[in-house]
Amino acid sequence: MAHAVISCLHANLAAVEAVLDDIDQQGIETITCLGDLVGYGPQPNEVVELVRQRAIPTCQGCWDEDIIDGLNACECSYPSQLAERRGHLAHQWTEAKMTEDNKAFLASLPTSLRRDKLLFVHGSPNSQHEYLLPDMNAFAALERVETAGAETLFCGHTHQPYVRELRGGSIRVRVQHHDSSSSEEQEMTLPMRRIVNAGSVGEPRHGNTQATYVIHDEATGDLTIREVNYDVAKTCQAIIDAGLPEVFAWRLSHGFEYAERADDASHVCER
Amino acid sequence: MERWALVSGLGGDLEVYEQIQRELKKSRGLERLFVLGDLIGPRHNSDALLKRLQEPERGDLQPECIYGWWEEQLLAERGYRGERTAEALRINHGNDAVEGLLTSVDSGHMTWLASLQFGFIELDCALLHGSSADVGDELKPTSSPLILLDRLTRLDVNRLFTARSAQQFRLDLNGGAIDSHIKDLNGEQNQQQAAPKRSVIGIGSGELFSLYAPGSDHIEFLKAGGKPVSRGLGFG
Repeated sequence: MAHAVISCLHANLAAVEAVLDDIDQQGIETITCLGDLVGYGPQPNEVVELVRQRAIPTCQGCWDEDIIDGLNACECSYPSQLAERRGHLAHQWTEAKMTEDNKAFLASLPTSLRRDKLLFVHGSPNSQHEYLLPDMNAFAALERVETAGAETLFCGHTHQPYVRELRGGSIRVRVQHHDSSSSEEQEMTLPMRRIVNAGSVGEPRHGNTQATYVIHDEATGDLTIREVNYDVAKTCQAIIDAGLPEVFAWRLSHGFEYAERADDASHVCER
Repeated sequence: MERWALVSGLGGDLEVYEQIQRELKKSRGLERLFVLGDLIGPRHNSDALLKRLQEPERGDLQPECIYGWWEEQLLAERGYRGERTAEALRINHGNDAVEGLLTSVDSGHMTWLASLQFGFIELDCALLHGSSADVGDELKPTSSPLILLDRLTRLDVNRLFTARSAQQFRLDLNGGAIDSHIKDLNGEQNQQQAAPKRSVIGIGSGELFSLYAPGSDHIEFLKAGGKPVSRGLGFG
């Protein structure tokens, strides 16, 4: 059975509707959402209500958490003061715009969802704020999946879709105990694990303006990254009409963000 | 050759600390003394030890301290950690242990305890109580190498000294590799990454302490008031 995984909707209603249409057209009935329903985009209530109406199992993203708990992440959330100021503007606008009912829904979301050996999170099993970038140290990436007890980890947060398979790994260790003059040598064979990043529906940053999501066929194990066209100009106009920073429309219309990328993928938010 | 003394888990026991100081005076080349947390504990009144650490006696090797799990619990319970309280202590040892900890440290020491850092980075070494993930993280010889490598990678250090497990050991990650296959919208690529050669060293606790020579990467495990528990382990 195939299921779809979507992430980082970011209050972009046109993109969410287009992706859900694409999923429906393929006859896929199971959808999982990895959070960040709101933030940056102009239709936070509409997107939250659509997800609620479709009863899509959803885990809480960093934006969903921040709208509820306030902006108390450590400095890891933004790579520059400029990006931080813009993010704060979007936060304040979204917080003021959202209904209490929709905020309560965001507050009710779990930080992870699990289905057998599949684990669904927003950032990483450690934190909604941690970036699992495709070039992250392979051992550290494997540790995130293995420690969480999963075989396949679905995540978002980076806005860059990818499928990463970690395989054929081993680590040799030599252990010396305090009371022994000899040492023990061991070799640990590492299991094969996968990290699947669903990219972003509402704010793609992979160099293209199309919304992205992934389809996972549980029977074959196949993973497909889908790109979906939507009315980008409509959302850009709505961003400007809402009085949100124009750069949010600019980057939607270019499909990348030159500044907002984590410098340190191994950093874990300590808030 | 420069050497460091690494101590932890004194638990308020001034007698053990004095014994260690006496033995350090006999050792040549010792330049630094790092006390990796758990200065305090519920079994002893910690005030005399805390005073000695803040005001060393003539001839003492100057201690450089970080906070450990017990300090974290005390700081949380006394309101130095935001809304958190000593939940971990309460769950594991009960309310009596929380009360015991509160009465073992005079409030006059709290400002100093709150000023202690999480750890030190010296050369290519991280000196921590638990690990780079958490002050309560227990790293042992039996811990998954994947977790140990992660804790080293988080701080990008070659040596991680830990005290939380109270064990004395040296674990060298000395080889291995992993294949990574990445597929994205631009295509597919394969990479192979070699496991870096790095080490995790358990320094012991209480009367068990360690001496480390960063120049030679030589570790010696000792017991205060006793014979060396190892003749020195060096893989350099």
